[in-house]
Amino acid sequence: MEADIISNLALGFSTAVSPVNLFYCFIGVLVGTLIGVLPGIGPVAAVAMLLPLTFNLDAVGAIIMLSGIYYGTQYGGSTTAILVNLPGESASVVTCMDGYAMARQGRAGPALAIAAIGSFFAGTVGTILVALLGPPLAEIALKFGAPEYFSLMVMALIAAAVLAHGSMLKTICMIVLGLLVGIVGTDVNSGMSRFTFGASGLADGLSFVVVAMGLFGFAEILSNLQDKADTASRDILNQKITGLMPTVTDMKAAFGAIVRGTAIGAFFGTLPGGGPTISAFSAYAVEKKLAKDPSRFGKGAIEGVAAPESANNAAVQCAFITTLTLGIPHGATMALLLGALTIQGIAPGPQVMTQRPDLFWGLIASMWIGNAMLVILNLPLVGLWIKLLKVPYRFLFPAIMVFMAIGVYSVNNLDLDIYMTILFGILGYIFLKLKCEPAPLILAFVLGPLMEENLRRALLISRGDPTVFITRPISAAFLVATALLLTFMIIPSFRKKREEAVADSEAL
Amino acid sequence: MQTKPKMKALFAGVITSAVLALPMTTVAQTYPTKPIRLIVAFPAGGSTDIIARLVGQRLGEKLGQQVIVDNRGGAGGTIGTEIAAKATPDGHTLTMGTTSTHVIAPAAYAKVNYDPVKDFEPITLVASTPYLLVLHPGVKANNLKEFVALAKSQPGKMNYASAGTGSTTQLAMEMLKGAAGVDIVHVPYNGNGPAGAATLGGQVQALFGSMPAVLPHAQAGRLRPIAVGTSRRSPALPNVPTVAESGYPGFEVSLWLGFFAPKGTPKPILTRLQKELTDIANNAEMKAQFEKNGASGVTNTPAEMNTLMKTELEKYGKVVKAAGISLK
Repeated sequence: MEADIISNLALGFSTAVSPVNLFYCFIGVLVGTLIGVLPGIGPVAAVAMLLPLTFNLDAVGAIIMLSGIYYGTQYGGSTTAILVNLPGESASVVTCMDGYAMARQGRAGPALAIAAIGSFFAGTVGTILVALLGPPLAEIALKFGAPEYFSLMVMALIAAAVLAHGSMLKTICMIVLGLLVGIVGTDVNSGMSRFTFGASGLADGLSFVVVAMGLFGFAEILSNLQDKADTASRDILNQKITGLMPTVTDMKAAFGAIVRGTAIGAFFGTLPGGGPTISAFSAYAVEKKLAKDPSRFGKGAIEGVAAPESANNAAVQCAFITTLTLGIPHGATMALLLGALTIQGIAPGPQVMTQRPDLFWGLIASMWIGNAMLVILNLPLVGLWIKLLKVPYRFLFPAIMVFMAIGVYSVNNLDLDIYMTILFGILGYIFLKLKCEPAPLILAFVLGPLMEENLRRALLISRGDPTVFITRPISAAFLVATALLLTFMIIPSFRKKREEAVADSEAL
Repeated sequence: MQTKPKMKALFAGVITSAVLALPMTTVAQTYPTKPIRLIVAFPAGGSTDIIARLVGQRLGEKLGQQVIVDNRGGAGGTIGTEIAAKATPDGHTLTMGTTSTHVIAPAAYAKVNYDPVKDFEPITLVASTPYLLVLHPGVKANNLKEFVALAKSQPGKMNYASAGTGSTTQLAMEMLKGAAGVDIVHVPYNGNGPAGAATLGGQVQALFGSMPAVLPHAQAGRLRPIAVGTSRRSPALPNVPTVAESGYPGFEVSLWLGFFAPKGTPKPILTRLQKELTDIANNAEMKAQFEKNGASGVTNTPAEMNTLMKTELEKYGKVVKAAGISLK
């Protein structure tokens, strides 16, 4: 078995290390990073736009390049999350919270560097996991039916309450609002439209990019514009940029977070549906729970960047498990990668491993090479990205707005999406004024529809019997964990800590 | 320089209605004057998109102009198809219509802003994809007869997955349920991938899945194929009988894909496109490409396409009504 793995990996590396494939990998990572830093253009849009480029390549080259684009955009998305509070995809919403706070304190360099280092570590572990345990992990993923998914989502949503640093009531309100926003669109079970007001552009629901760009990016710009003291605070911000690289203390603080984040990401990433998002949120929640002083979170805690970034990347790697071994895509980007394989005439599925071992193992090897390239490429770029922050707001803001509009439009080619982004921007501004945090809303928006879908599916299959959630062991385990989480929140000592935290944040 | 006399001819033709043949041939000769937009009403990377890109690239080479695939996904393909229906009918906007956009959506949605027959000029089919009825290997039935008998012995107890409410995968199974008189509960999933995963994991017992999505698992022995929905057996699975030969004559479900132009596109352009597209779809290399994607090359005439749509609208309309599907 071990010998097999070694010979397989040797085959993989010999495929991936060929000069042509290394070149494709590099081009993919580079183009991905460059596109990823454009606000609003996430992995899905980037891969969709660049898919035709790979039609004339051979299968191995095409899939290596597309994967490179995927990692690159993912990482580029984290860069904008940290620098300008613009999450490129749902998983980097979490990175925004402490990453952007660090950037405002002049510590964008360490934040970007720790994101790259954490991602690389997670990517390495993820690659090893895929190589060693791919097929058995895929079997476990298949054990997840509707009840398991539902219970998992419940746990994640409860954990979201831990994320917030303000009032618990406001957090719950934001979660409920997020669930409601997630309802918009066609109901999977009945095919009925909900809250679409007859607009066919809303039939598939609001896209994540619309909600996130509005609530985070647009709202941030609005609030900066009204801030008269802006120029002064920016001077401070510029002066304060000290080191580009994390200090030894930073590394020490981040190390545990990176390891835990990787483990969490690897676990959730194997499950199709919501993997990277749940991983990033959970990893953040875990760090906050473990921290000696949870009140630092949301104000630039380096663990708050390291954990979700590592979790996200580990999940992304593990998402390849079911995609490659079962031909079941995790999400839109994976579906596109499978499409690319199909165009190459390779039917994705369990036979890829035996029929095209060069492709399967070559891709696994190139995952690691791609992650390594990302670090090599991005650490020197950190300085360049930081310089972007020195661009005066009167140039930076219009540029961001234009790119945001292009990015939002590119997802579905719908102009309605741009108007909806503006609407969410205004909403986001109101939330900022009311000190309501958008992150729990986003998590609920992403998970809500999945949760509802799986709840109804589980009850449909059980013919309306709700005990199915506690009689299936994996589902029951999640519910027990949820109950424990709730208990922790309710017990007095914890409540006291929260109140201290609230007092802290109000004092600021 | 060369276009000048042609332009004159065009004007002459427009003014003197007596000379009809002249402007017609002129239009066909100058066409296409700019890149052609091929609207695909589904996201990039899906099966419709892949076929469209394969054919589009070849069509562009033949016409000497680039064919640009414009993905306008959403709302079951109705958004993109509506855009195509309302585009300028000059041959520079085409769409890849399928059973979903031109038959099922109009039949299943309460309101669709286009008429699949009246708003389009059908050009030709290019490909069709079969559907395959697969069971989780734990189900105690080795063929369609045993499956129907099993379902009859426990009415309302078994479940089947579909790629979504109103999808072909649902309608195929509903059609079979009607023909066999069995009660199997529909469990909709969000797309072919999740529906396949649920069947692989045994969350549901059966799936009338699209061939490209389920074939690899059937070949790997992880799903048991018991019948194909087309009138002829699939070359990929020669031992699997059709539903029709398993006791339900006339049963036929497949997903066809064809080219459409907006209503009013000039005849000579349509004729030219029909010729080129038929050549492309009949090309041996292209057929091999289709087969790799689980589809097979088919062509027909505009008249045959209209008949096909009308027959299928009626056929699926009945299923939609019987199953009580209404998408709003």
